[in-house]
Amino acid sequence: MARTITFIDAINEALHQEMERDSRVCILGEDLGMGGGVFKATAGLYQKFGEERVLDSPLAEGIIIAAAIGASLVGYRPVPEIQFADFIGDAVDPILQQAAKLRYRSAGGYSCPITIRVCWGGGTGGGLYHSQENTTWFAHEPGIRVLAPSTAYDAKGMLIAAIRDENPVLFFEHKKLYRTAKSEVPEEPYTVSLDEAAVRRPGRDMTVLTYGYMASVVMEAAEEMAKRGVEAEVVDLRTLAPLDKRTIVESVRKTNRCLIVHEDTKTLGIGAELSAILNEEAFDDLDAPIMRVTGPDIPPVPFSPPLEKFFMVDKDKVMAGMEKLAGY
Amino acid sequence: MATKVNRATAVREAPASRHSPELLLGLYRMMVKCRMCDEKARILFKQGKYAGNFYSNVGQEGGEVGGAFSLRKDDWVAPSHRDWTSCIVKGAPLKACFAQLYGKTDSPDRGKSTPAHMGYPELHIITPASTIAAQLMIGTGVAWGLKRQGKDSVVVSYCGDGATSIGWFHEALNFAGVHKLPMLYVVQNNLWAESVPLRLQTALTDLSDRAKGHGITGVSVDGNDILAVYEAATKAIARARAGQGPTVLECKTYRWYGHSEIDPAKYRMPEELAEWKKKDPIPRFEKYLADRKLLNDQIKKQVRDEITHEIDQAVEFAENSPYPAPEEALEHIWA
Ligand SMILES: Cc1ncc(C[n+]2csc(CCOP(=O)(O)OP(=O)(O)O)c2C)c(N)n1
Ligand SMILES: [Mg+2]
Repeated sequence: MARTITFIDAINEALHQEMERDSRVCILGEDLGMGGGVFKATAGLYQKFGEERVLDSPLAEGIIIAAAIGASLVGYRPVPEIQFADFIGDAVDPILQQAAKLRYRSAGGYSCPITIRVCWGGGTGGGLYHSQENTTWFAHEPGIRVLAPSTAYDAKGMLIAAIRDENPVLFFEHKKLYRTAKSEVPEEPYTVSLDEAAVRRPGRDMTVLTYGYMASVVMEAAEEMAKRGVEAEVVDLRTLAPLDKRTIVESVRKTNRCLIVHEDTKTLGIGAELSAILNEEAFDDLDAPIMRVTGPDIPPVPFSPPLEKFFMVDKDKVMAGMEKLAGY
Repeated sequence: MATKVNRATAVREAPASRHSPELLLGLYRMMVKCRMCDEKARILFKQGKYAGNFYSNVGQEGGEVGGAFSLRKDDWVAPSHRDWTSCIVKGAPLKACFAQLYGKTDSPDRGKSTPAHMGYPELHIITPASTIAAQLMIGTGVAWGLKRQGKDSVVVSYCGDGATSIGWFHEALNFAGVHKLPMLYVVQNNLWAESVPLRLQTALTDLSDRAKGHGITGVSVDGNDILAVYEAATKAIARARAGQGPTVLECKTYRWYGHSEIDPAKYRMPEELAEWKKKDPIPRFEKYLADRKLLNDQIKKQVRDEITHEIDQAVEFAENSPYPAPEEALEHIWA
């Protein structure tokens, strides 16, 4: 039975169901037990599964991730949480040097099935340290999946798939989607592929590649542009590493134009990689240069409301980008 | 040992304080000012006057004021999220402090940093990041630099109990210990790190014991006893100035409100809060002062009236200060 629920309820439900199904699943992080999480993503888990499986950790991101990695080596499937992406710094060695490389450096002797939930993104007045995106720090690293769902349906299905996956996974949850993104979500557990992008809207005139909160912004812009006669195909990447090159390239071969939209800053954002892939694999199909609408190259996100508005990509900025590409 | 209360002794005046009336009233005034500004900041947030969030320090004024009150102008402060009022203690104008909340152009960072994460370069207050404990390391680096320059300035850095769990705290203490740096680490132990109680944070009871592992001095005091904090901090600052190295000063205290203004703090027992409200540092110090005939209702009212007036002016100033132009977002990235 499906019903309409929010993104955050979908996350919460996935955690409840996976913890019920598999006693090896445990969670740890700051404020996620008794407090139920800053955004209440983990509400009810502490009450249901107890302190043994739902651990309010000390304030120390390094050991949160490293302890999860260690526990995974003796058979657990930990789902540690980083409260805000901005605070992942202390855990960078455990993620990049340990989790992502354990399998490789032991030639498959060890694997590290952990799912690190990370809350990210701007547009909520969080300022410089409660708004950041750092997906590409990690997407650059072979050996760790980087996911960024945009719908409640994907949030549940991808989180369950991630917990069951043998690879380490970074699961980025955009805070602005928590209560605004709603979709029909089955009550029972299900999985969504971790290797495929989703075509959210078919179109013939251009491909727009995006992910996360921007996927919802782009969808609105695409509907408006359709009224002006521009039919955009919107591709929601969902998975930033490894990228689903096939879907991306196929779409651009069909539409011959590509706009990349992300909230992240421009320089070395995922758009740079997407553009390089299309250059290598779809150059002859392009009728226009690949264009980008992204956050500006400034520290994300300055606090004062006019500064935050300047930073964030919105529907108008996306539509302006689409107009420009369509008119090229 | 039970002693009979001699009526004559009971009515005798309290012993004179070691400190001058000016100093005592200065400490008092500053605690009341911090309390009133903080309460005002909370009200303004609740009224939707500014975005973001605010982390109230109410209940913790003993440590906040006592820790930095004896600093000189050339000394440094490295605050954290709950230390907006430490800027007031160091001498930042209230107008700037309230403009900071609003993210206006008259805030020291012109609206770039968040309301509670305030710095003030002219007074050597380092604009903090939100990354917990990072300010301890930066502050330690400042102390290292000051020492190398042969200056006798010191650095006071604030943090909470939770912050003592992360490696950065320990890296800072270790480095400061090795180089005998002029640092005072004021640890405001309010028993909670957001919703996490101290028992899940550390196996220690006294956080000053953290200092032992790094070979430096650690002191724990009742953080709601302003004089205890002031005396311990002043001693530590003097030692630091004299090249005798860093100190960890744990102030045992309690935050009255939620972790931030959006946290109803349902994880705490109401009895715990009620107990701590009885230990409010301000009435406690009022009694101390009144016992010594330094404070009466009239002076109390006068202090509050003056501060109210100053706050009203600061809020009006902040409200009239313009927002930064959107393009200002591009400034101050590169030198
Ligand atoms: C590195 C890092 N991790 C997590 C957070 C989120 N966070 C902000 S304050 C806080 C609790 C801090 O507790 P404590 O150090 O005791 O200070 P208090 O808030 O009690 O003053 C947490 C977890 C952060 N800001 N930085
Ligand atoms: Mg605390």
